Amino acid sequence: MRILLVGMNHESAPVEVRERFAVDDPAALLAKLIAYEEIDEAVVISTCNRVELCVTTHQPESAHHTLMRCFAGHEDSTYLHSGRAAAAHVLRVASSIDSMIVGEPQILGQMKDAYRSAVEHDACGPVLSRLFQRAFSTAKRVKNETGIARRPVSVARVAVDLARQIFERFEDKKALLVGAGEMIELALDALRRAGLEQVRIANRTVANADELAARFGATSHGLDELDALLAEVDVVLTSIAGEGPLIDAARVKRVLARRRRPLFFIDIGVPRNVDPEVDRLDNAYLYDVDDLEQVSQRNAEERRREAQRAEGIVAEEEQRFDGWLVALEAVPTIRHLRSSAEQVRVAELERTLARLGVEVSDGDREALEQMTKSIVNKLLHSPVAKLRAETDREEGIAMLEAARTLFGLDDPPPGEPER
Amino acid sequence: MIELHQIAAALYLAAGIGSLLGLLLPDPRISRGGAWGLGLAALVHAAAFATLHQLDPAPPLTDLAIVLSMSAWMAVLFVLALMWRLQIFGLAAAIGPVAFLAVFVAALQLQATGAPANPISGTWPHAHVLLAAAGFALLGTAGLAGAFFLLEHRRLKAKLRPMQRAALPSLEALDRVNEVAITVGFTLLSLGVMTGMAWQHSELGTLWSGGSHETWMVVAWSIYGGLVAVRFAGHQGARQSAASALAGFLFLMFAMIGVGLWT
Repeated sequence: MRILLVGMNHESAPVEVRERFAVDDPAALLAKLIAYEEIDEAVVISTCNRVELCVTTHQPESAHHTLMRCFAGHEDSTYLHSGRAAAAHVLRVASSIDSMIVGEPQILGQMKDAYRSAVEHDACGPVLSRLFQRAFSTAKRVKNETGIARRPVSVARVAVDLARQIFERFEDKKALLVGAGEMIELALDALRRAGLEQVRIANRTVANADELAARFGATSHGLDELDALLAEVDVVLTSIAGEGPLIDAARVKRVLARRRRPLFFIDIGVPRNVDPEVDRLDNAYLYDVDDLEQVSQRNAEERRREAQRAEGIVAEEEQRFDGWLVALEAVPTIRHLRSSAEQVRVAELERTLARLGVEVSDGDREALEQMTKSIVNKLLHSPVAKLRAETDREEGIAMLEAARTLFGLDDPPPGEPER
Repeated sequence: MIELHQIAAALYLAAGIGSLLGLLLPDPRISRGGAWGLGLAALVHAAAFATLHQLDPAPPLTDLAIVLSMSAWMAVLFVLALMWRLQIFGLAAAIGPVAFLAVFVAALQLQATGAPANPISGTWPHAHVLLAAAGFALLGTAGLAGAFFLLEHRRLKAKLRPMQRAALPSLEALDRVNEVAITVGFTLLSLGVMTGMAWQHSELGTLWSGGSHETWMVVAWSIYGGLVAVRFAGHQGARQSAASALAGFLFLMFAMIGVGLWT
């Protein structure tokens, strides 16, 4: 049995190729895959950054061709992982080491959905179940034991992270967003996720602010209300086109004179919307887009460093999974060994009884059965225990081969002609 | 007894170092371990107080070493409550070493203390020491919160990368800690000054003897009174309040300990 994984991701294929193979209906694809004779189990992972088909098979070459047919026309944009590499890849993906943004949390949820779907459609058997459960626990370990997801990397989330250094909670805070563009929308989303509910949106064209405010449950205002708005809010986020700063230091100083609470400015406008002199004021904190980018880059570097530590955890967990797989592969050999020994025991017992030529009572026969069974069990105990306990793949496979040779498990049964 | 004080001091130091490591590595689990260590140290410290009377001679409650040790213990309890409330474990990195110093000095003093020439007993001395020590502890916490505020303010202004969440409190939380600690601490200090005067009156028949300790403590109390008035009149920003709390506590330390050593 072998695990195979064929797929494409943000590194191997551009988005226009990936979107062609995005799976809208995993149930249909799962049903199609497990209908193939060469495929035993299957899980389909489809996200905006990757499409991957993970299967188990007893006919690797044939299964590979089948999987490649699913990416017909773009085989060059795919990758193949087989055996241990496939298992390691699944663990890396779940741990977000393989993601476009290392440490992003969404992939784990998407993989859980993919696994759930495979289970619901009876496409997932013991091997992939075990592999995906191991992947989820690996992701948890990576999250808890490394700092891979500790620091945000998007500008919007960095801004929220900085705001947390100033404000203990966001529920009772108010934000003013100046502008109504895409960056403002992203920032608004991040602020909302952080718990900030009371939002005012001010824009030159009030109609645009109205539209955004209606979508996010905020209030809309014109720029002429700026002074009054600044006096009541705690966080100010600006991204509006214009020449020269819209908010100057004198204006902020006037506002601060009437309040004790700090005012946090996030200026993502280019050219800048907030006078840099504002940062010199005592109760005001100003971060412009360069400051945020710098923090973001340092956080991304830290994530990359932490990803190295995560690789160690993945290697450990992959080793454990492989040990389980080796033990699983030993099961047919052990079963074969036991049945061969049983056949020998029964045959030899019958032959001995026939040679004795005397009638044996049921009690004596029972005693002889017990004795021969006991001899066989004692002889097999040590080799069977060693086969079960071996978790290293190479040694495990070597031991299985040795057992099959030593006990003649690959030989044709006595009396059967060799083919 | 003294051994328990020594154990408590060692635990405070270990908790402080553990918490500092948690901040530097950074690993929130180590920070949490430091916080638990601080809790354990506070328990041992409480046991040390409970067994002090077994010493022969038992040190008087008015002994400076005991006052320092008690103030440190009360400050630790207050910080533990804050850490529990705000889920911010990095504070152990600051309070741990401070408590260690206070308890370590107390343990050394206790070893060297002989029988007091004039054993002090009665309600006023005890009330004075307990209230003043509690006030000192809370005003110390306000000073610590002020120091953290200034540090964090500086980090933000210098555009340094933010500290880990659960490492240090936000500026808002530090300002709130400062406000509560200074309000309650000043009230307790005021009560400490009043009970001190009552003690003086019961011993000498006068409310004011003009001694250096009394004089400097009243000066410190007046300064704090001014700080509280300015703060609550809304004439101070958060950063100025933080700086005032830190400066106020440094002066109080001088008035309470420095003057005694100097004169």
